[in-house]
Amino acid sequence: MAEKKKIIRLSYQKRKELCGFGFISIWLAGTVIFFLIPLIKSLIWTFCDVVLDSGHTSISWTGLKNIRYVLTSDQYYTYYLRDMLTETLWKTPLILIFSLFIAVLLNQKFHGRTLARAVFFLPVIIATGPVYEIISNDMGSTGNTEAAQFSTLFSTDMVGELLQFLGIYNLSDDMDKIISAVSDNIFGIVWSSGIQILLFLAALQNIPSSVREAAQLEGATAWEFFWKITFPYVSPFILANLIFTVIDSFTSPMNTVMKRIFAMRDEWQFGYAAAMVWIYFSIILTSLGITAAVINKFIYYETD
Amino acid sequence: MKIKKSAAVFRFVILAGLGFVIMYPLIYMISCSFRERRDMNDPTVIWIPRHFTLNVIKETISAMDFGNTLKNTLILNIGCAFVQLISCAITGYGFARFRFRFRNLLFGIVIMMILVPPQIISLPLYSQFRNFGIGKFSVNLIDNMLTMYLPAMTGNGIRSGLMILIFRQFFRGLPKELEDTAYIDGCGAFRTFIQVMIPNAASAFLTVFLFSVVWYWNDYYMNAMFFTNTKTAASVLRNIETELKLHLFDSVSVEIPPREQIVWKEAGCLLSITPLLIMYVFLQKYFTEGIERSGIVS
Repeated sequence: MAEKKKIIRLSYQKRKELCGFGFISIWLAGTVIFFLIPLIKSLIWTFCDVVLDSGHTSISWTGLKNIRYVLTSDQYYTYYLRDMLTETLWKTPLILIFSLFIAVLLNQKFHGRTLARAVFFLPVIIATGPVYEIISNDMGSTGNTEAAQFSTLFSTDMVGELLQFLGIYNLSDDMDKIISAVSDNIFGIVWSSGIQILLFLAALQNIPSSVREAAQLEGATAWEFFWKITFPYVSPFILANLIFTVIDSFTSPMNTVMKRIFAMRDEWQFGYAAAMVWIYFSIILTSLGITAAVINKFIYYETD
Repeated sequence: MKIKKSAAVFRFVILAGLGFVIMYPLIYMISCSFRERRDMNDPTVIWIPRHFTLNVIKETISAMDFGNTLKNTLILNIGCAFVQLISCAITGYGFARFRFRFRNLLFGIVIMMILVPPQIISLPLYSQFRNFGIGKFSVNLIDNMLTMYLPAMTGNGIRSGLMILIFRQFFRGLPKELEDTAYIDGCGAFRTFIQVMIPNAASAFLTVFLFSVVWYWNDYYMNAMFFTNTKTAASVLRNIETELKLHLFDSVSVEIPPREQIVWKEAGCLLSITPLLIMYVFLQKYFTEGIERSGIVS
């Protein structure tokens, strides 16, 4: 009797395993055809001369020639690459800090909160499309309305005066640079942090109210509450947002490296284009991996 | 009490100021779309047009071939978004609730799909669609809607990896008892999924569908890759300058300075995002409140 039961249980598990495969089988087939094969192909193209002839590709192995060409002979690529990497380097932390700050504000209770949230998530539906490119260009071409107008709102002068007012005179140049970078790029930063705010807000709403009450009973100040409770709870999302921000700016068709790659593609230089993408991708992925590993040490996971 | 009040003022100033930065382009868009082009050179006109007109909108509608474009967008983008929603939900459920061999490895591929930019695979994908099939039995699928629908159907569309991840997290968060009772009643796995799980996942479905629609609606990269002449809202807008030149400023004698062309460009922007904005106005509470229930959190 016991033996029979065992057999049934085993077959039940087998059946469940088959069911699992059934559920993912469509995706699996699609992934092999539309993801894995093209991915491997493009990796191979990096080391090949690719000639496209009425849709048929003929390739011949050339080793590291493409990579060497892209890194040494292409006059734009390394230049754009450096620009792009430095931009990502300073913009990503700014976006993260900014979106966490806004999420904390939007999580408070006040009149018109729904409206404020609706406004701040608006970039989510617009910023991935061509509209964003047009509006950020138009801002530049109509003298009176360019991004500088925002800078008069959050003007560097205003910041400077504020600092003077507070009695801070000889701040280091770096600090000055950071502040003016923020105020000059406020448009880009606000417009590219929609999803990040959304994720941080979701994390903030996940803080149990019992923790909040306990902190209040113990008499925690807002400052302590932020660093000792809010921050640990959102820390896993800092990592998620970091990855999202970097990948988002990396894959945006608006960035200069990507534009260079498209230009290569339009000249039918598929081998060079593939080499460019892979160099770019591996740099980003390596640095992302290292950063993630470092950040991971400081993350607080509630459940694990 | 005093501190609280000043905090509220501080919050208001920050949110209003930054909210203005976000709303600015939209207000500007609306303001530009309803003015005559000479208003662009009038320094006294900033927000309210001096010469109100609907002609710019009408001209842009005809230049963009808006009726057809909208139809294409609906068929191609909304259709794909919907199909992708279903395939990702099924896959996400499979990953969430079943143990099978290589599950972690396969889920690693899902994570890879999130990380690998579409630009890496788009070139080989193009040549693959150009000769789709094996050897003699291959067809040219370029300019065919299948180039968008096939990946969407198999959970490999635009940002599918992210959606599979969201669905997996969501289904993992639902109580196991839900299915167990169905299994005991002799319900098959797929029927359980449709009859028990989907009704419980309505909010997740709506959230993901909204994102899916937005991402497909805004896509012009894939569209430009696989189509030579099927215009969607995003791809027309991408080439709006050429379209305008072709249809509006076609005679040589008409020369319109770039500054005045902005009127039509902004009108184009307004037209192509209006459907999204309308959807957003009606469904924004799912964007803003529904996300916490959609399972991203866990």
